[in-house]
Amino acid sequence: MNKLFSRGSDALAMAAIDSGLKFYAGYPITPQNDIPEFLSRELPKVGGTFVQAESEVASINMLLGASSCGFRVMTSSSSPGISLMQEGISYLAGSELPAVIVNVSRWGPGLGGIGASQGDYHQATKGGGHGDYFIPVFAPYSVQEMYDLTVKAFDVADKYRTPALILADVMISLMRETLIRRYPEGIKPPEKSWAFGERKGERQKIIKSLYLKGNELEVHNWKLHKKFEEMKKNEILFDKYLCDDADIIIVAFGMVARVARSTIELARENGLKLGLFRPISLVPYPEEELFSLTKTCKNFFVIEMNTGQMLYDVMRILGRNVNIRFYGKPSSYVPTPDDLFNKAKELFNI
Amino acid sequence: MKDNQKFNTYQTPSWCPGCGNFGIWYALKSAYTELGFDNNDVCMVFGIGCSGNLSNFIKVYGFHSIHGRTLPVASGIKLANHKLNVVATSGDGDGLGIGLGHFIHTCRRNIDITYIIHDNRVYGLTTGQTSPTSPQGFQSKSTPFGVIEQPINPLALAIIQGATFVARGYSGEIDHLTSLIIQAIKHKGFAVIDVLQPCVTFNPNFSYPFYNPRVFKLEDAGHNPEDFNNALKYALDVNNDKIPIGIFYKISKPTYEESSEELRDKPLSEYDISDISISELIEEIRES
Repeated sequence: MNKLFSRGSDALAMAAIDSGLKFYAGYPITPQNDIPEFLSRELPKVGGTFVQAESEVASINMLLGASSCGFRVMTSSSSPGISLMQEGISYLAGSELPAVIVNVSRWGPGLGGIGASQGDYHQATKGGGHGDYFIPVFAPYSVQEMYDLTVKAFDVADKYRTPALILADVMISLMRETLIRRYPEGIKPPEKSWAFGERKGERQKIIKSLYLKGNELEVHNWKLHKKFEEMKKNEILFDKYLCDDADIIIVAFGMVARVARSTIELARENGLKLGLFRPISLVPYPEEELFSLTKTCKNFFVIEMNTGQMLYDVMRILGRNVNIRFYGKPSSYVPTPDDLFNKAKELFNI
Repeated sequence: MKDNQKFNTYQTPSWCPGCGNFGIWYALKSAYTELGFDNNDVCMVFGIGCSGNLSNFIKVYGFHSIHGRTLPVASGIKLANHKLNVVATSGDGDGLGIGLGHFIHTCRRNIDITYIIHDNRVYGLTTGQTSPTSPQGFQSKSTPFGVIEQPINPLALAIIQGATFVARGYSGEIDHLTSLIIQAIKHKGFAVIDVLQPCVTFNPNFSYPFYNPRVFKLEDAGHNPEDFNNALKYALDVNNDKIPIGIFYKISKPTYEESSEELRDKPLSEYDISDISISELIEEIRES
């Protein structure tokens, strides 16, 4: 264990190395360049390969190749680059290949801007690529979680043979705070009998996502779905903060949740009991855990740095018998604790 | 000083002082002025990178497009309205990285577009990673141990793949670059100008002190641009201490627009579709 004062992007890159990352491919794009730059220096020192590819398309397809050899693989990019990778992510999911993909998201659509944003929630959680699949998605809200959730993402990716996504943001990626570098157990990835290798006398192995005969594609799709059902049972992560006596519960993820914590302290000093429910795994979403809060609270305040994306999930989960209000901030400027406190008072008529 | 003020916008370029993009900016405005263009005679398509910021600084129709996709966007504009002069620009990073496939296909299509590559051999906007034209051994933020790959040779690729006007310019020779741009725009067909564009901040080794003593003009060397073999020889000669600028290759071939039946007479934008009748076609199907 090692206590550091670290930047979010470095924490993530360290976690990847500590998790046994052996292959990274990526392409420059603001605001995530710190991750590849760190790995270009550090990954070769631990016997890993770093490649700056000619594009995000090449990067994600290099991951398809390296992952099929059984190595732990990762790429990182920011929103437009992640859009380019969607074909590859769909193929990773269809071919059941583990990989970790990091999105330090920025503004869109199109070229957008390079500021903080949560505009990629739909793309991340509902499958940006084609086909019937879900991949696990984790949203860190601290430098420590940039580390811990990366370790988690590698494990989940291997356990379920699936790509896993870290949906990070500029604020968490570029700020510095205390990090405990945990050096996780199990740096050796599990034995991958499905991977290409040099084992003599093996039967032929084909990695593919093409199923044409009879109902084999249907069987394959239900197999992928079953993995998703297993993830729902085992991999849900969430955080609750002062929810038990709350009159209004804020639902937020990533950097907005971070701001919301300060809002809650500010509100409670002023006699308004706010709480926070924070999904950490956006896929699988902590649905039951969120719904159970309706036993004690009827007011929910969804806050996102977009025009309302997770809002649809919250509305679906909570139904119409509770009072849901939304505040969206689709711009580069992260709202302050005061902004959120004032919005809460305004939207709930307090 | 040429009177090219009408192509200025109210914005001052945000490039670093000394950036090679200033030379390209000035040469473009001068070329448009000398060609007698009005602001709405030209449509420019920009890529993503420092070069793309040019969209804010030059007053013509402008499409700030996608990283590496300037040529497909420019092709779409040209095929929809080929009366417009279409000038695409992008950096070596986007145009010769993810855009390389589009580059080769636009060469073989020979659409009448002018394509200017801001070639600084580094990623400037993302603050200094290796690019497709960085030389082997180049140390950068993403290649601390040096580049392994061989650089892309845009001029040789363009010559081989059917571009009909292939040139190299230099931001430090603005009058020469202006003349190249004028000739490229006048040329009927796909015209490529690879511009040596120093990035003084993130690639200072390939800056003016490097290029100034090395560049020489092909026209002074008696090169005949119609000589394919000699053009290719110059394009492939990348290890020589002397760097040729000027027109490497120029031939006359029918453009895509001239070869397409629908586009030959007038641009798509001038076709009237208000009174199209499909009854004849329906009759034909009925009879068969």
